Amino acid sequence: MGSRISVFATIAITVLLVGLSGCGYNDLQGLDENTKAAWSEVVNQYQRRADLIPNLVVTVKGYAAHEKDTLEGVVQARAQATGIQVTPETLKDPAAFEQFQKAQAGLTSALGRLIAIAENYPNLKADQNFRDLQSQLEGTENRIAVARKRYIEKVAEYNKGVRYFPTNLTAKFLLHMEEKPNFTVADEKAVAKPPEVKFN
Amino acid sequence: MDAISMSRVWREPARLMVFLGVMLIAPSGWALDVPPLTGRVVDLAHVLPADVAAALTRDLEAHEMKTSNQVAVLILPSLEGEPLESFSHRVGTTWKLGQKGTDNGVLLLLALRERKVRIEAGYGLEGTLTDLRSAHIIRQEIVPRFRSGDLPGGIAAGVQAILGTIEGTYKADEVLSGHARSGQEPTAFEYVIIGIIVGTLAGIVLSHGLQGTRALLGSLLAFLVAQFASVVLGLAAAGVTAFLLWLILQANRGRGQGGGWGEGFMTGPGGGFGGSIGGGGGFSGGGGDFGGGGASGDW
Repeated sequence: MGSRISVFATIAITVLLVGLSGCGYNDLQGLDENTKAAWSEVVNQYQRRADLIPNLVVTVKGYAAHEKDTLEGVVQARAQATGIQVTPETLKDPAAFEQFQKAQAGLTSALGRLIAIAENYPNLKADQNFRDLQSQLEGTENRIAVARKRYIEKVAEYNKGVRYFPTNLTAKFLLHMEEKPNFTVADEKAVAKPPEVKFN
Repeated sequence: MDAISMSRVWREPARLMVFLGVMLIAPSGWALDVPPLTGRVVDLAHVLPADVAAALTRDLEAHEMKTSNQVAVLILPSLEGEPLESFSHRVGTTWKLGQKGTDNGVLLLLALRERKVRIEAGYGLEGTLTDLRSAHIIRQEIVPRFRSGDLPGGIAAGVQAILGTIEGTYKADEVLSGHARSGQEPTAFEYVIIGIIVGTLAGIVLSHGLQGTRALLGSLLAFLVAQFASVVLGLAAAGVTAFLLWLILQANRGRGQGGGWGEGFMTGPGGGFGGSIGGGGGFSGGGGDFGGGGASGDW
């Protein structure tokens, strides 16, 4: 009987080893971690942007106090954007993701209007502090674009793992993973164009 | 591609894969290809006098020797409609400037027709070469010289300012030793584990051969011998496998490190990106990554 048992043992070990690498358990976990890391970077950069805004608003106010609507628009959009906390766990919820997206897009356009009015105030444009803040803001917008691009790539990899056979079986029945929402092309167009830089 | 470099491509399977990959990916959607990394100063617009380019290259090389930071300059005739920031990021990540793990690369990119300049800072240098510092270098060192028509002077001053800023961030020997530790190299313990797993499987398979003999003899003694043999064979196979694995990985490590550091003396295979194809210069990226840090400006 020893022979039969060891034959079974051999088959069992082989099946187990092949199965472990074939079912994609580890791969899926790795892909999931990658999306979380990429998402943290996105949130990080958005936070960085939000941190720059109070100083920027104060500086603009010093030269263009009567542009109340634009200034308040920025302050409100910032409050809205920072009010939404999206953790990696709530990322699975498309509605929450959409809300986060909208709030950040709102802040982007409010900031765009703020930078645009600076064109009308030569003294503001020449202010060293304003120029520095503008450089930092541009840098941060660029980092946001990079972080979003990387997140899109990571989610695409993850979603493939969740949908493709046979890893979809592991994802569905063992890990209960679902596809994650991603940034859409329309959002990408909005952020793809970095703000214009002029050192005049 | 001339005949010589083609034959090189065919000889190196890894490079062939990269070559084919680039052939497949490159034409889709990208208006402007990332130029090959032929040296630390890639002047495609021919604005730098030879002696200035040589002096810059020497400075950049000395700087890398001392700090492990990889700084490169790219001068383009035109961006051909590509946005400056995304192209600059693409060049940085394609050339892989900076060392793997510390991501301490910097790219100074000029586009002549658009009159645009950008400093792209690697992840690991964002703390010292901040967006703000980059903007100041562009505004104070580079743009004024460019406006007065002195391109080489502006580039040289910009490079000096960058090097001065990032000087103290890393030390070459620290990065080197950290690099060796962080590498994906199995420890002796891992060799043994892998050896035992593979060896046990081999032992089981081999023991089945012996069990055929046992059936012929039909005795308990043969059964015991077979069990014992499977253990002995397993251990022996484990040892042999571990040794073979070690040999293979040692051989690979030699090549891998050549690729990672690529410092001129590696002229042939393993030279990673671009450097070895250009001949002479032999400079290649160390595997650094970029997160979009830096600043842009125009003149």
